[in-house]
Amino acid sequence: MTLITSPVPRWRAVSTGFVAGRRLTVVLVSLPMLMTLLALFGRILAPHDPVQPVGGLNLPPGSDGFPLGTDAIGRDLLSRTLYGVQASWFSALLVVGVGLLIGGLIGVIAGVTGGWVDAVLMRVTDLFLALPGVLVSIAIVAALGAGLGNTLIGVSIVWWPYYARILRGEAKSIAARPHVEAARLAGISRPRLILRHVLPGVVPTAVVTASLDVGNVVLLLAGLSFLGLGQSAPAPELGSDTARALSQLLSEWWVPVVPGLAVLIVSLVANLGGDGIRTLVTNRR
Amino acid sequence: MIAFLAKRLGITIVLLFTLSAIIFFLESIAPGDPVKAYLGANASRVDVLAERHRLGLDEPTIVQFGRFLAGLAHGDLGVSFRTHRAVTADFAVYLPATIELVVFAFVFAILLAGGFAFSAALRLPGSSVYRGILLVGSTAPPFLLAIFGIVLFYQQLDWLPASGRGPDDAGPTGFLVIDTLAHADLPGLASTFQHLLLPGLVLAIAPAIGIGRILRSSLESTLSADYVRTARSKGLSGGRVLVSHVLRNSIGPAISMSGLQLGFMFAGVVVVEQVFSWPGIGNYLANSIPVSDFPAIAAVTLVLGAIYIATNAVVDLLQAAADPRLVT
Repeated sequence: MTLITSPVPRWRAVSTGFVAGRRLTVVLVSLPMLMTLLALFGRILAPHDPVQPVGGLNLPPGSDGFPLGTDAIGRDLLSRTLYGVQASWFSALLVVGVGLLIGGLIGVIAGVTGGWVDAVLMRVTDLFLALPGVLVSIAIVAALGAGLGNTLIGVSIVWWPYYARILRGEAKSIAARPHVEAARLAGISRPRLILRHVLPGVVPTAVVTASLDVGNVVLLLAGLSFLGLGQSAPAPELGSDTARALSQLLSEWWVPVVPGLAVLIVSLVANLGGDGIRTLVTNRR
Repeated sequence: MIAFLAKRLGITIVLLFTLSAIIFFLESIAPGDPVKAYLGANASRVDVLAERHRLGLDEPTIVQFGRFLAGLAHGDLGVSFRTHRAVTADFAVYLPATIELVVFAFVFAILLAGGFAFSAALRLPGSSVYRGILLVGSTAPPFLLAIFGIVLFYQQLDWLPASGRGPDDAGPTGFLVIDTLAHADLPGLASTFQHLLLPGLVLAIAPAIGIGRILRSSLESTLSADYVRTARSKGLSGGRVLVSHVLRNSIGPAISMSGLQLGFMFAGVVVVEQVFSWPGIGNYLANSIPVSDFPAIAAVTLVLGAIYIATNAVVDLLQAAADPRLVT
């Protein structure tokens, strides 16, 4: 039978395609890691105090010592942007993490337990899912008062149902597999069943869903900050920095554009990284 | 069908009730005392207590909630701290502007989505550039898109206006497209469309991608179906196959996605209106946030939220009408 196989080894064609695809995937997956490093060391990299005026007013990008220019009261835009990127990136990761934790807990419990517990938990989830999340989060933050902590609470409250829905389906399908049946018959406790036998199977879906979602949260948080529902005045935050400098758009365009572009880059990195992680996880399966 | 209708109506009522309950709860924990806002900070304690009694704020929460719901049913959304007017009166001015913008942007989004899906499914040359631009656009924050639009089309090219709705509204509906037509004011109509173009485009990009992706994947799977090959092999033209065989069978998921996106647009409109100084309900919300005018914020959330819920309900019903298999 080996004689019939083509003279050109098949594996070569397959493997070059694999390597090229894989290289791109590695680049994509490394992007969010680089962003995390940038966010971690943003404060050290920032050349100036982001809140204090340190140079001339409205210096254009490329000015001596101020690569991205300065704003209307002479604060360094690069330093403000680095601090803003840090807040934006870690806030988005935190919201997604909390959503994953609450949603995952509810979803997995509902999926594994089934019966009336499943029915009740999913009804509540569907109720939250059908409400306009963005508007409710605006109302929550406005009621609690602006501030980074309150914004994160407000967004987290509306962000978990999506995860509960997806992970409940995944947990349900895993709970029906033979190895879980066997574990159940062996008489192990329910927490142990969930932790040892169901949870590991849910992780890939959870990771892919979460990583594709970070970009959405980055944009939502930037939007809230733009509306004045983020940190208060002098704090460097990308959305509110853009909003406050809007009146300068037609004269000193870089003051509102620099923080806005930073949001685009953070969200782009999150989306590309999410795509990379999805490719990685689906290929491993 | 009747049972389905009743069930969907029931769900809608539960959703509206939940939304009102959330808003009522938030209103009770929100900073800012409506009585102080009304009487001023220096009012005497006796006056404050009398006013609290008059407004019913000394009654049990459940009674207050009942009154709140009854107020909503009568269209009473409270009084704004900022404008000192009934929020409903403010809305009469601002809501048509928002609806006009969102509807215009929605049509825009459908067109962009169609271009996205068809260019990809038919592999038109150069279409990947168009899709790439749209994809980057959808990852950008809307306010950045708005800024780029203003710099490019207003400042550099001077093609489009950058703020407001254009001509003054001469009534009677508050929708400028309709009102200018009613007065046969063609320059006014043209100006209205010019003013709608830029905010409409900015608002349309994210939903366009959402709808376009779904339409693309269902188009691609339908294009490879056996009956499409049959239709082609019996000699029908490509366009004919596409319109009468492919599109009809792939439009379903795109319709439900469109409904969802239309709902999202009523939330996304807030930021866009602020950048373009669009005199709508979103701008009203944006102006209420910095002064912590919670009655106004709550009312906008309620109204936009109710529109969102109603949109989703209507889309569900439309889908059931289009495809009776969904009614179970």
